[in-house]
Amino acid sequence: MEPDYTKLKKRPAHPFETLAVAIAFSPRLEAILMETKRMVNMFGSQLVIVHVGKKDTHHEDVLDKLINKINFSKIKYRVIWMEGEPVDTILKLCKLNIVDLLILGALEKENLYKYYVGSIARTISRRAKCSVLLLTNPSINPKKMRKIVVNGVDNPKTIHTLKATQYLARNEKITDFTVVQEVNTPMLSMAIAESGTEPEVSKIKKEMQEEDFNKLNSIINSIDSQGVQIDLKVVKGKPGYAISHFARQNHYDLIVFNSPDTHLGIFDRIFTHDIEYVLADMPCNLLIIHSRV
Amino acid sequence: MSVISHHDLVVLLIGMATMLILSRVASEMARGAKLPVVMGEIVIGIVLGPTLLGNFAPEISNYIFPAEGHAALALNAITKIAVVMMLFVAGMEVQLPLVLKQGKAAVFTSVLSMIIPFFIGFVTAWYFPEWFKQLPEYRLLFALFFGTALAISALPVIARILIDMGLFKTKIGMIIIASAMFNDLIGWLIFSFILSSIKSPDASGDYTYTIFYIIGFGLLMLTVGRKLLDKIMPWMQQKLSWPGGVLSISLGICFLSAAFTESIGIHAILGAFIAGIAIGDSVHLKEKAREIIYQFVTNIFAPLFFVSIGLRVNFVENFDLRLVLLVLFVAYIGKVSGAAIGARIGGFTRNESLAVGFGMNARGAMEIILGTLALQAGLINETIFVALVIMALITSLTSGPLMRLYLDDSYFNTNKQIENN
Repeated sequence: MEPDYTKLKKRPAHPFETLAVAIAFSPRLEAILMETKRMVNMFGSQLVIVHVGKKDTHHEDVLDKLINKINFSKIKYRVIWMEGEPVDTILKLCKLNIVDLLILGALEKENLYKYYVGSIARTISRRAKCSVLLLTNPSINPKKMRKIVVNGVDNPKTIHTLKATQYLARNEKITDFTVVQEVNTPMLSMAIAESGTEPEVSKIKKEMQEEDFNKLNSIINSIDSQGVQIDLKVVKGKPGYAISHFARQNHYDLIVFNSPDTHLGIFDRIFTHDIEYVLADMPCNLLIIHSRV
Repeated sequence: MSVISHHDLVVLLIGMATMLILSRVASEMARGAKLPVVMGEIVIGIVLGPTLLGNFAPEISNYIFPAEGHAALALNAITKIAVVMMLFVAGMEVQLPLVLKQGKAAVFTSVLSMIIPFFIGFVTAWYFPEWFKQLPEYRLLFALFFGTALAISALPVIARILIDMGLFKTKIGMIIIASAMFNDLIGWLIFSFILSSIKSPDASGDYTYTIFYIIGFGLLMLTVGRKLLDKIMPWMQQKLSWPGGVLSISLGICFLSAAFTESIGIHAILGAFIAGIAIGDSVHLKEKAREIIYQFVTNIFAPLFFVSIGLRVNFVENFDLRLVLLVLFVAYIGKVSGAAIGARIGGFTRNESLAVGFGMNARGAMEIILGTLALQAGLINETIFVALVIMALITSLTSGPLMRLYLDDSYFNTNKQIENN
C-alpha cells in the first residue's frame, strides 16, 4: 500500500513523535542505542530501529541481546531490516514511517576520499527530508546536552529551527542556548577600498551588521521564551566555518543548522561553504532541523 | 648590473608623484560627484598624456613622462606589476562558494549573462570586421576578445552600486554579485587563452595545449593549491609578524603564480587572478589583512595603472563616434538581455530581472584592464580601445539609475522596513 505522504507536508519540525536510529553492527552500536534510548525517553517518542543489510540469525541475536541489555521494555519500538543501497533505503524508510528525527553515529572527521565521495551518515544528512542528529561521540553512559549553539542565518527556515531547538532545550531542561550570527563581508572591503572615507566605511559596516542583527533579534523576540532564554552572539568569519570554530573553542555539545536549501554535491565539498564546513570537521554533535517549509 | 641614472630616477619619481597626487584629487572630486573613482584617474591620464598636455605643452609632457629611456621602462614595469596586483585583488573577491550557494537563479543568470553577450560580441566582430578595422590575421582572436569584453563585469563597481542602493544583501544583490563573479572567472580564463594565443601563434591553429595548460593550472590551484594555502594561512598569521607576514607572503605567492603562468606561455594575469581566488577563499585570512591588501593595491598601484592609460593613448584622435555607439549598443543589448533572461528563468519578476540585467551591465575598471592588455598585445587598435573605455565608464554610470527605474519604491520600502525591524 502506498504510504500517505500528505502527512509529511507542512508537518512541523517538532515535536519529535517518531525517532529512528540507523544502525550498523559496529563497536559503537551499544553507545548509539543508549543515546537513542535517552532521546526517546526525553521526547516520549516511538522508535524505529533501521538496519540496512541482510537479516540473519547471528545479527538478530546480537541486536536482541543488546536491546534486552539496554532495556527497551518501556519503549514503543520496531526493528526494520532491509536490503539495498544504504542511503536511499534509510531515507525511504524515514519517509514511509513519518520519522521526525533520525539519529546516526558519525566520525568527527572522515578521511579525504570518504569525505569527497560521501560517507553514509553525511550523505543522509545532506539529503534527508526529516531532521537528523549526528552523534560524534556516543557514550554508553549518555549525558544530557548542556551547551547548544544555533546557526542564526538569514533564512525563512531559521525561526522553525529556533523553535525546534527551544523544544529540545526545554526537554533537556536547559535554561538557555546561543544563536550565532556570522558576519562576513569580504566584498565590502573591495567595494569601499577606493571610494570611502574612514567614517563612511565604518558607517556602512555598522549599518550592515545592525541590519542583520536587528532582523535576527526580531525573530528571536517573536518566539515565546517558555522558560528558555536565547542569547544572540555575533561572530566574524565565513558562514559555516565561523560558527563551527566558535562551537569548538567554547566546547559546545550541540550545533544546530537549518536543512540545506539546495542539493549539496561534490562541488559544495570542494568549494566548501556553510554546513559543509561543519560536516568536514565536526566540532560536536550536529542537529539538522528540517522544517518542511 | 645596469642601474637607473640620477636624472631618470628624478624623472620617474616626479612622474609617479604627479600621477598619484593629481589622480587622488580627481578621484576625490569624482567621489564627491558620485562618479566612479576610475573616471577621475582616467581623466588625469588624458590631461597629462598626448591628448592635452602632450598636445599643448609637449616639452613638459616629454620631461615628466618620456617615451623612451630608463624612466619610461621603469614606469612601464610598474604599471605591468600593477595589472598583476589588480588581478590578484580581483581574484580575492571571487567567492566560488557564493555562486554555488545561490542555486538555480545564480546558475541561469551567470551562464546566460556570459553566453549571450559573448555570442553577440563574437558574431558582431566575426561578421562585420570592417567596422573595427582589425588586422585580418587576428579575426578569430579578435572576435573571441570582443565577445569576452562584452561578457565581463566589474565586481567592485557593482558591489559599490548595490551598497549605495541598499541592495547589497538582498536576493537581487546576491544574484548579481554571484553572477558577476562567475562572469569574471570565465572571462579571465578565456582572455588568458586569447593572450597566450597571440604570444605564441600556432601555425596549425591547434590550441589544445594552451587550453590544457589553462584549465589544468586553474583546476590545480583552485583545488589542491587552495587547500594548501588554507592550511598554511593560520601558521603565517600566528608565526609571522602581522599583517606584514601575510602581506608579503600573499603577494609573493601572487607573483610566483603569475611568473609561472607567464613562463608556460599563459599571461601572468591568470596566475595572479587564480592565486587571488585561492588566497581570498581561505577562512583564515583576516578581514583586516584583506583590507590592507585592497587599500595598498587600489590606492597606489591602480591609480598608476589607470593614469598611465591616458599617457599612452590620444583619446581625441582615436575617438570614433560610430564605433563608440556600436560598442555601447551591443554591450547594453548583450549584457542586459542575457542577465535579464537568466534571472527571469531563475524565478525573478520581469522588472526585477531587468534590474539584474542593468546591475550586471557595469563594466568599470575590469573592462579597462582587459582593453589595455589587448592593446598592448596588439590585438586591438587605439580606436577600439577608446570605445571600450567609454563603454566601461558609461555602463558603470548608468547601471545604478537604470536599476532604480525597474525597482519601484515598494521594493526599497520593503527593504527599509526589514532594516527598521
